[in-house]
Amino acid sequence: MTSHALIRAEHLSKAFDVSKPWLERTLSGEGRRTLSAVSDVSFDIAAGETFALVGESGSGKSTIARLVVGLHAASGGRIVFDGLDIADPASARQFAAERRRIAMIFQDPYASLNPRWRIGDIIAEPLYAFDLVKNRDEAQARVDELLRLVKLDPLDGVKFPHEFSGGQRQRVAIARALASNPDVIVCDEPTSALDVSVQAQVLNLMRDLQDQFKLTYLLISHNLAVVRHMATRVGVLYLGRLVEVAPAKTLFANPRHPYTRMLLAAVPDLHLVGRARTAVQGEIANPIDLPPGCAFHPRCPLANGRCTSDIPQLISRDGADIACHAVEEGRE
Amino acid sequence: MSPEIVLDVRGLTVEFPTRNGILTAVDNVSFSIAKGEILGVVGESGAGKSLTGAAIIGLLEPPGRVAKGEIRLKGERIDGLAGEALRRLRGRRVGMVFQDPLTSLNPLYTVGDQLIETISTHRPDLSASAARERALSLLIDVGIPAAKDRLFAYPHQFSGGMRQRVVIALALAAEPELVIADEPTTALDVSVQAQIIALLKRLCAERGTSVMLITHDMGVIAETCDRVAVLYAGRIVEIGPVADVIHRPCHPYTIGLMGAIPALDGEEDRLTQIPGSMPRLSAIPQGCAFHPRCARTSQTCIDERPLLTAAGSGSAACWHIDPALTGAGS
Ligand SMILES: Nc1ncnc2c1ncn2[C@@H]1O[C@H](COP(=O)(O)OP(=O)(O)OP(=O)(O)O)[C@@H](O)[C@H]1O
Ligand SMILES: Nc1ncnc2c1ncn2[C@@H]1O[C@H](COP(=O)(O)OP(=O)(O)OP(=O)(O)O)[C@@H](O)[C@H]1O
Ligand code: SF4
Ligand code: SF4
Ligand SMILES: [Mg+2]
Ligand SMILES: [Mg+2]
Repeated sequence: MTSHALIRAEHLSKAFDVSKPWLERTLSGEGRRTLSAVSDVSFDIAAGETFALVGESGSGKSTIARLVVGLHAASGGRIVFDGLDIADPASARQFAAERRRIAMIFQDPYASLNPRWRIGDIIAEPLYAFDLVKNRDEAQARVDELLRLVKLDPLDGVKFPHEFSGGQRQRVAIARALASNPDVIVCDEPTSALDVSVQAQVLNLMRDLQDQFKLTYLLISHNLAVVRHMATRVGVLYLGRLVEVAPAKTLFANPRHPYTRMLLAAVPDLHLVGRARTAVQGEIANPIDLPPGCAFHPRCPLANGRCTSDIPQLISRDGADIACHAVEEGRE
Repeated sequence: MSPEIVLDVRGLTVEFPTRNGILTAVDNVSFSIAKGEILGVVGESGAGKSLTGAAIIGLLEPPGRVAKGEIRLKGERIDGLAGEALRRLRGRRVGMVFQDPLTSLNPLYTVGDQLIETISTHRPDLSASAARERALSLLIDVGIPAAKDRLFAYPHQFSGGMRQRVVIALALAAEPELVIADEPTTALDVSVQAQIIALLKRLCAERGTSVMLITHDMGVIAETCDRVAVLYAGRIVEIGPVADVIHRPCHPYTIGLMGAIPALDGEEDRLTQIPGSMPRLSAIPQGCAFHPRCARTSQTCIDERPLLTAAGSGSAACWHIDPALTGAGS
């Protein structure tokens, strides 16, 4: 889309080996099995943009996040960060210098904080790792500032992770991600453990930082209201494939892909106490043994013969990209 | 006849003794949960929700301790249990879903082995193959796709939301009388969330399981709970039937909480924030703990601590409840 994408994912794929142990496999005569967590995913994120990924649990969101920051090696395709292929050995040295520019907030805040370290040290680590401070006093001042930014008290810096509540730990993880003044933050469910009031503070803070420093976000959230509030564009994942990519406004006003429609209809509504929400139809398919054609076809009300054999590709319609035969054929 | 009370908590107080004095994290909290009832517990981060749950099943980590209060399960005191009695209570009679899914899963064992182990411990009557069947059906109940293929996968091979569902399956494995679920659906997308909520509701309706549901997600509360308790700085500030607390909140803090929720159809540029933040345990304001952040504060609020009194169809702890809601004014 944009010629100057800060992050570009090109035909990204990730398969995991989920075979049984060798002996068991040999005895039962079973072959190797792989799970395609991400298949042929391409997107661009421009500087200053918030690109959100949504999709059911297990659709590959965290796997993409890990691919983007280089924590997983891609099985196919590549990630280009500011013109550099992050997996290319030729640009490895150059990319090492750029590492500071990408930070990540992990989905499981507790698991990402070392329980033996005081949180002041946890937050200060990137400052030392990237040589961003000259001395301890400077580091301390920066840590205090970061703690205040996420509504914790500088006095809390001497405590250990277990002395914090779940939401407080998530804020520590956010403070740590901000420490290295990154340009891009990959946020995997950044506010999922936060109550609405702190969530509002954190989301407002993320927006302010974006305005101030032109931060770019890759936002993963299962909370569609949060996505609606934060994202400029949204990509919808289903079993590892992008099925719709559209500006946030367009997506929420006029979802085109049958799966996106189903997802939006399932949102619980605060204003309807006791209402039975529209249940999502059908089972999520087996990711180890994906249905042929459009992986959504066993659950799709619009599926036809073609859907069971051909994988639909993204096509552009009214400013959105949709991968669906029904949309292409005009039988929505 | 009033319904049978399963959990009864009276005057629960949790303290952390420190060098600079005693910190009170849960302060004189009382509530009860009837058979088959779902009580929601909400409140800002640090309000004491998880500690209340941990205290009930005797999982406070020292130096944290229950300083005052009584906790009863079907009339029987369960505070102060230790050793074998406590182990039997946990898992068998009270199932717990922890806020951090990874802390309750052992990374070295497969998901299936952990489930089967829990089932066999609490149900020694089941054969090995029956325990395995039950493990599989639990994974299917919580919506793990291709559960059969994944029974013997390790926790790290599951996505975040799948791990959370395994933890829920573990908590339900022994068919406990009470389930304490601490943020059980935070990592779940709406469709799986709907499935888990339906499962919890079914357990309550069919087996009379009682649930204490700790969550900050008001959508989930609205849909699932019968009653809801709002916690602030370790105290219950409002408790009542869910529809009233959400639509006609009495306490200024609850009113603020409701305003902070982003709406799906919202065009709002900024979310309403309650000014300020939850006090540190070492600096809980005297009188009404909410007074530095409250728009209605008076001298009384600063001097005296309000107690829970009838308001709306529930009760609230506030000196200045809109008189129309107390029924006293008009
Ligand atoms: N081991 C501990 N030592 C000292 N203080 C603690 C300890 N554990 C919890 N606290 C404090 O007690 C307060 C209540 O914690 P709790 O975990 O119950 O909060 P919570 O309501 O569950 O919040 P969240 O929504 O963020 O999970 C917090 O201020 C927390 O910092
Ligand atoms: N290390 C691994 N080994 C094997 N399978 C894996 C591994 N990591 C992830 N998977 C599988 O890949 C799929 C996608 O997982 P991922 O964590 O990306 O999902 P997600 O969209 O982030 O879901 P959630 O919303 O539950 O966090 C899942 O089926 C998961 O079981
Ligand atoms: S391609 Fe076919 S099965 Fe897939 S979403 Fe479109 S209509 Fe449904
Ligand atoms: S008691 Fe006073 S300070 Fe506290 S919530 Fe009520 S009005 Fe506000
Ligand atoms: Mg994830
Ligand atoms: Mg908690």
